Order: sequence, then structure tokens, then C-alpha cells
Amino acid sequence: MKLFSKVLFAFFVLLFISSCAKEKTATNQFRVALLSPGPVSDAGWNAAAYEGLQRIEKELHAQISQIETKTPSEFEEAFRDYARQGYQLVFGHGFEFQDAAAAVAPNFPKTVFITTSGNTVRPNVAPMVFELEHATYLAGALAALLSQSGKLGMVGGIEIPPVTSTFDAFEAGAQSVKPDIKVNRSFIGNWEDAGAAKQAALALIDQGCDFLIHNADAAAAGVFQAAAERNVLVFGTNKNQNDVDPQHILASCVSNIPAAFVEMAQLVRDGKFEGKIYRLGMPDGVVSFEINPQLQSQIPPAVMTRLEEIRRQIIAGTIKVPSKV
Amino acid sequence: MMEIFTSLLTSGISLATPLLLAALGEIIIEKSGIINIALEGMMLVAAFFAMYVALISGSPILGLVAGVFSALLSAAIFALFCVGAQADQIITGAGLNIFALGLTGVLLRRIFGLTGATITAPTFTILPVPFLQKLPIIGPALFTQNALVYLALLLIPITWLLLTRTRLGLHLRAVGENPAAVDAAGLPVQRLRFAAVLIGGSYCGLAGAYLSIAQANTFIEGMTAGRGFIALAIVIFAGWRPFAAAAVALLFGVASALQFQFQAFGLKVPYQFFLMLPYILTIVVAAFFRHRIQAPAAMAKSYFREG
Repeated sequence: MKLFSKVLFAFFVLLFISSCAKEKTATNQFRVALLSPGPVSDAGWNAAAYEGLQRIEKELHAQISQIETKTPSEFEEAFRDYARQGYQLVFGHGFEFQDAAAAVAPNFPKTVFITTSGNTVRPNVAPMVFELEHATYLAGALAALLSQSGKLGMVGGIEIPPVTSTFDAFEAGAQSVKPDIKVNRSFIGNWEDAGAAKQAALALIDQGCDFLIHNADAAAAGVFQAAAERNVLVFGTNKNQNDVDPQHILASCVSNIPAAFVEMAQLVRDGKFEGKIYRLGMPDGVVSFEINPQLQSQIPPAVMTRLEEIRRQIIAGTIKVPSKV
Repeated sequence: MMEIFTSLLTSGISLATPLLLAALGEIIIEKSGIINIALEGMMLVAAFFAMYVALISGSPILGLVAGVFSALLSAAIFALFCVGAQADQIITGAGLNIFALGLTGVLLRRIFGLTGATITAPTFTILPVPFLQKLPIIGPALFTQNALVYLALLLIPITWLLLTRTRLGLHLRAVGENPAAVDAAGLPVQRLRFAAVLIGGSYCGLAGAYLSIAQANTFIEGMTAGRGFIALAIVIFAGWRPFAAAAVALLFGVASALQFQFQAFGLKVPYQFFLMLPYILTIVVAAFFRHRIQAPAAMAKSYFREG
């Protein structure tokens, strides 16, 4: 009985606190929420989405909210929670959110659910696909043109289609200029373990890889560290990471995620949203390949001309970059 | 062939070091009759403060000191609850793990901005030992590492000596087996346990600092990635013996290194299979080399003097 009354007391305290925390909401303000699969402090994939959300708050005067969710049951719960509160737009930041979005969407026709990457489409569910493959294809071509050993390495977080797809494009880009190039990949199984990412990168370097690319989010710090220790060159991804280690990061494959978020939010606010796959790549100016100016001298002019030619063909659509998502 | 073996061992030792440090610390704590499942949390707190102090002071050594100190503080909190207030050790440990994840996350976002910055902290660099590094095969693997690896190697015999050859070690083990007898002999049971938690906590501090300022040069939320729990398993597999713990940690490290080599080699096997490899191998080996050592009899039990 004593325990029961204590628990009851704690329950009422919580109830009281949560009622104090209830936000004051303008009735018809535009409200946007973000479900991130990891901490937004990762200076990478999640941080970019949060920057997008902050820009939506500033530029579209929206009310914003963000939550970190790890498991599929949390995805559904959070989607449902925001929709119930009347949010007009909820982003699920990753491929892994599509099933949860599709499950929740029919019950909340007034809310639009956007997943970043994926292929699940409903009247109020759409994936926004960043074609980072355009940039990793270029990175692959550049690495193959410069490689001495004829071996390139890739370090990934978890083997999900958006990651393998960027790696496939890297491989295709490399083989397009040097058909006999060897490209090996290694996965660490999460997005946080920089120590494991470092050892994965060192193992690739041990096997003779002299260029590395990553798609491991925050854990990429370990890949950069390995590249610095063994003095090989590496490519950054998702954000422009050239400044992280200007001596070893040759170029970055960049998605302008914040800009895409703002654009999407604008469509939804203006009622122009359609349930379809939104593809955003190099031709749209959302994806770019940024060479580190400090290492520009390492790229001979002939290679640079060749690279420019490939870039033009990707934008013109004459080169079809493979993409699985 | 030899080169692959050496690089495997080098990589294995560097992966095993944080596990070894945490496991050694946990052996001391468990020997005194306390089970501390907050290794993960203590390491995480230490990893954060080691990175932060190394970054603002420019000195990895000061970072190491800060890491150990912050782990000591978390260990003191743990001991206050579990030894002082005799709270449940599992619940307190679980709470501390979650608290550490939250605390480091909040601090990181407060200090470096909500969306984070790519932090590059000064690190312990590789410090080859003259002469010894020339030994065939094991020379480069054991003696071209950073200072923290050497420290961890030294702590294996030191921990063993502490537990088996010193008065304090004898008292700690006695407290873990039969606290009532220790109490009857006029020794301070709670103070001994408090001391064990603090010593073990400082080991976790070294382990955490190793992650952020010796292995990677940055801090990432949740970067311990379950190492605290693997260390916990190592302690049990090794039967609370420091040298055996070193062997199991090394086995796990080399198995992890091996799976990265396999992946890098480009074998067309699902990578999830390789990721399982260290766990499977450790379980198989542990099953073969079964020991009959029992856990300290009073482990996880608070001591109340019978009045």
C-alpha cells in the first residue's frame, strides 16, 4: 500500500509537470516535426536535417519539434503522436522510416509524412531521395584516375540501400575510367563506433587501398584518423567535410539537405505536395562534388578536365548513375 | 603472410585495450562484492571530459587526467548509492548508464552547438619502444602503440599483484566473500567497498579516455558502443583473474580485427556474419576453457551488520 501510494504520488507529480510544459500553440500556425535516427549533434546526416528544420522555423515561421527515435515501434509512436497533435508535416529522416510512415498515414490524412530516401508512396507519404550517387560516382572516377595501387576502399555504417547505393555508384564511377580497378567495402554495424571505423579503414589500407570513401556518419572520424596515420587520401560524404582534415580529405560528396527540407516544407505549406518520389540530385543543384582547394594541386589538369566532362554528362543525363533507392 | 599476422595483432591489441582496462577495473570492484554494470556510463563520461580538456588545453595528458577524474566522480556517485545508501546495484548501475548518455549528450550540444561540430582533439600518438619494436612479429604489434596501451599492459600484473599480494587486496577479496567475517575482524566493510569502486572507476576512466583521445580523436554520443557490457562478460569468462581477462580481451580484439581484414579482403559473405565473428569465437573458446571459479559469494548483496 505504501509503495502504491508513492507510485501514485510520483504519477501525479509527473502529470503536473507535463501539464505545465504544455506548449501554447497558435491555432493555425504551420507545424513541422523531425524524427531523427540519431543525435542531431553528429555534425553529419542528422545535424543537416536539424539545420533544415531550424531554417523552416526561421524562413517559413513554422513551429518546429524534433525527437530522436531508434526503433521501428518508436518511429510509429512518434509519427502518430505528432500527427495527433496536428502537425501538418513530419519528416522521418532516413530509409528506415518508410514502413512506419505508411502504417500511420491512412489515419491522419491531414498530415504529410516525408521520409528522406525510400520508395514507399501514399497520398500523404513521399520519399525525398538525395541522389548522392551523382557525387560518389565522380569521387570513384577521380580516385581511380589517381590511384597508384589500383585498389580503393569504402567504409560504411549499416548496410542499408542508401549506403550501398552510394558505394555501388562509387564503384561504377571507378570502373568507368579503369575497368580493372578493385573496390572493397567494409561495414561496422552502427553509426557511432569511431574506433571500429578506424580499424576497418586500417584493414582496407593494409590490403593496399590508397583511396577511401566513407558513408558512416559520425563514426567517419575514425576513417579520417586512419587516413591521417597512414597518409592516404579520403572522401567526405553528406556534408562538406573538407575542413575536418584538409591534409587528407581530397573532396566531399555533398547533399544540401537543409535547402531540400525548406523546399519540401514550402510545397506542403502551399498545398502543392503530391504523393510521389522526389528525386534531388546534381541537376537540381542539391547534390555537389566539392574538391578541397588545399589539395587541388594533387590533381593533374588532364584528370581535372576528364572529371569536368563526367560531371557535365551526369548533369545532362547522358551518364546514367546506378541508384537502388 | 607475417605482415598480415602482425597487422592483425596490432589492430587486435588496439581494439582490446579499452575492453581490458574496463575489465580489470571491474574485477577489482566485483572482487569486493559489488557488481558495477555502469562501466559503459563511466567510460562515456570519461571519454567526453578527456576529449574536452584535451581540446581546450591542447594536452592529451591533461585530457587523460580529466577523464580519470570524471570517471572517479561517477564512481563516487555509484558508491554513494550502492555502498553508502545500500541501494540495488543493478538498478543504480543501469540508471548511471542512462544518466551518462544524457549528460554527455547535453554537454556536447551546449558546448559545441546543437548540430555539433567536427571536433579534432589532440591525441596520444604512437610511441615506438626502442629495441623491443624490432622483435619479430610481436615487436611491432606490442611496441608500436600509444602510451595508454603500454599503461594497460602494465596494469595487468599490477592488478594481479594488488589483488593477490597486498593486504588491501586480501581485505577486498575477503569483503567480497564474507563481509560479516571482515566486519567481525574489525575492518571497515563499507569503506573497503567504497575504495574498490573508486579504484575500478579510475580504470574505466582510462578506458574511456582511450576511446576519445587515443583511438579516435573526437567524441561521439554513445561512442562506447556496448564496450562496457562486453568488458562485463570478459570478467565472467575470465573467472575474475586479471591475466585471463587480458587473454579473453585480446582474443576478442583479434577476432574483431580479423573480421575487418576479412571484409577488406572482399570476401562475398554477408558482413553481418563477420560482425558476429568475435562474439561467436569468444563464446566457443570460453566454452572450451571452462573454469569452475565461482563469483565472489557476496557479490551484488549489500552488507548490513546484524544487530
